[in-house]
Amino acid sequence: MGVGAGPPLREVSAFVCVRTKSLTGEGQLQGRTMSLVTTLWSMQAAAALTLAVLYAVVWSIDRRNLANLMLCVVAVAMAIAARDEVGMMHAATTAQYGEWARLIYVPIFFALIGLLLFVQLFLGTGRLWLLWTIVGARLVMLVGNFLTYPTFSWQEILTLRHVSFLGEQVALVGSTVLRSWHWLSLASCALIIVFVADAVLRASRRGGAEGRRKALIVAVGVGLPLFITIVYAEAVLLGASLPLLVTPAFLITFLVMAVELSRGFLLTRQTRQELEELRSELARAGRVTALGQLASALAHELSQPLSAILRNAEAAEIHLNNPEPDLNELREIVADIRRDDQRAGDVIEQMRALIKRRTLQMHPLALSEVVEDVISLVHSDALARRVALDYVMTPGLPLVSGDRVHLSQVLLNLIINGMDAMQTCPASNKRVVIEARPREEGRVEVAVTDYGPGVPAGLIDRVFDPFFTTKSGGLGMGLPISRTIIEAHGGRLWAEHAPAGRGLTFRFTLSQAQGALS
Amino acid sequence: MSAAGVVYVVDDDPSFRKAVTRLLTAVGLSVQSYSSGAELLTHLSGSAAAEESGCVLADLCMPGLDGLQLQEACTEAGVGLPFVFLTGHGDVPSAVSAMRHGAIDFLDKCAPQHALLASLEQALERGANTRAVRVRREQLEQRFAALTPREREVLEQVVRGRMNKQIAAALGIHERTVKLHRNAITTKLGVRSVAELTTLTREIGLFPEPQQSCP
Repeated sequence: MGVGAGPPLREVSAFVCVRTKSLTGEGQLQGRTMSLVTTLWSMQAAAALTLAVLYAVVWSIDRRNLANLMLCVVAVAMAIAARDEVGMMHAATTAQYGEWARLIYVPIFFALIGLLLFVQLFLGTGRLWLLWTIVGARLVMLVGNFLTYPTFSWQEILTLRHVSFLGEQVALVGSTVLRSWHWLSLASCALIIVFVADAVLRASRRGGAEGRRKALIVAVGVGLPLFITIVYAEAVLLGASLPLLVTPAFLITFLVMAVELSRGFLLTRQTRQELEELRSELARAGRVTALGQLASALAHELSQPLSAILRNAEAAEIHLNNPEPDLNELREIVADIRRDDQRAGDVIEQMRALIKRRTLQMHPLALSEVVEDVISLVHSDALARRVALDYVMTPGLPLVSGDRVHLSQVLLNLIINGMDAMQTCPASNKRVVIEARPREEGRVEVAVTDYGPGVPAGLIDRVFDPFFTTKSGGLGMGLPISRTIIEAHGGRLWAEHAPAGRGLTFRFTLSQAQGALS
Repeated sequence: MSAAGVVYVVDDDPSFRKAVTRLLTAVGLSVQSYSSGAELLTHLSGSAAAEESGCVLADLCMPGLDGLQLQEACTEAGVGLPFVFLTGHGDVPSAVSAMRHGAIDFLDKCAPQHALLASLEQALERGANTRAVRVRREQLEQRFAALTPREREVLEQVVRGRMNKQIAAALGIHERTVKLHRNAITTKLGVRSVAELTTLTREIGLFPEPQQSCP
């Protein structure tokens, strides 16, 4: 395992095995298998590195979230610290022990600073002056550590003792001489505890369920292990008969962070699902709004066949009152009534399809049919507003892959938009042109052009901003919803100034369906 | 139905056009249907149409000429056909405008049959009246057109209530000549009394009376 099985460690392990044999007489078993300490610490280092990679990936996705980078640094530092701890535990001489103890200052420095910055980035409630004081103190300790021998705190390690730990003999300091400036270490540790406790308290006091949850995470995941480690380490430095261990307490950190990370992933999935639902709900709201705008025209569209049915029925009654009714005429009347009923039913069916809540269902579609459906819906409205609807279709257009209802909605939106844009134009100029033609790479492009006043050049991209509208009664949601729909189809929707120099052209692309021509 | 005359149905929706034509034919009306206002105007400009009386039943909302524009075009073309408008969704401004331009009625497409037929009957009646007035006026104008300029001058004096002697003096002709002219006038116009002559002259608006100032 990467760090735990580095060359110096193997040397040490071999040495320890020989040594423990002489000390306990149980060395033969340990000599053949890897020592338990090595195994456990290697696993710990591996877990730390795995987490480091995970956090590095998470951070690379969202680089602004530096808290994740900090956790990555902490995890790497912990893996290295684990190696150094094994080195210390397996040290045979005071010199070896001192060397490992010296080295461990580096990962501890990075782990501490990483944790503190994480607390600050995660909670945002720490006192910055306290943070920078601690960083300064720890930096002084780190530099001082490498300027002196063996370590910053120990002036000299006089003897080593060996005690039984996890079923094997490990080295620990017997007697040492502490330096006078060891107080700096104590002070920095006290400040760290104060900083974290203060940040946690302020975060939980600031309130909110999320704030309290975060405070709890930091208290358990960072505060608790830091407290345990600092008290423990200071006890060792001051002469307690224990191995100098930093990393085990941080297993708690790893555990808490792993839980938090997976919770994040779950939340992301849930959020995405909610977003999907929200989007389909919004699209439906957009369709209902569009239909609302068309309401009176649709009423007209329905009243046309209904009034034809009424007049036909009245004519039939008159014929039936005749002593010798004209049966052929009556048959024709009934056939016409049936046809008009079908026509009214179709209008209602189309409206119902647009109102239904539904998710995207991709099918091969003939664009011409979709366009004709939409034109039949807006036909009356266009007539009432005296707008001419032109439809230009390249013959042999391939089928596209799409959702009929959602695409109808986009077309409906673009056409209504175009008609709205020409509200103030003279009747002779009111025209909306719908074009569909094949584009390169198996795509089909649809363009909806109006001959209205258009928008100023600077605003052309803003038309897709939510709530951007130039209409008095407009919500400003039609175009953003349309863009969302087209993007969900894997296409693009954009606006251009119309080629005629007046009005706007909205273009969108769709993928060609796999298969034959329409 | 009692009223005579043609109902010109104008609607862009083929199935409604067919249905309403069917109904009106079934109740015994004479119906001609057109899919657009332009089509009706083309027909009306033909010579045969001038002899027909009738009314127009038009959809208010149509591509090309809409109902109101068609009504205007008819007025401009001198076709005094009364209009009944149909609408799928009645909007007040159009209705007001239509009535102001002399429409008989403004009905929903689903209006009850009796309402539709009553409106049409009224329209046909008015159409027939208008036509009768027009025909009579045309005949009168024809008769008046037969008068010579001198006879017109004499007629004007007669209508103003002058005696033959006064007329002769005013026009600088002999009294006997005036009598001759008067005989010619009554023969050409086919009237027997001066009173009748005055009524007819007023009817076609000849010689408007000068403004009378109060003494």
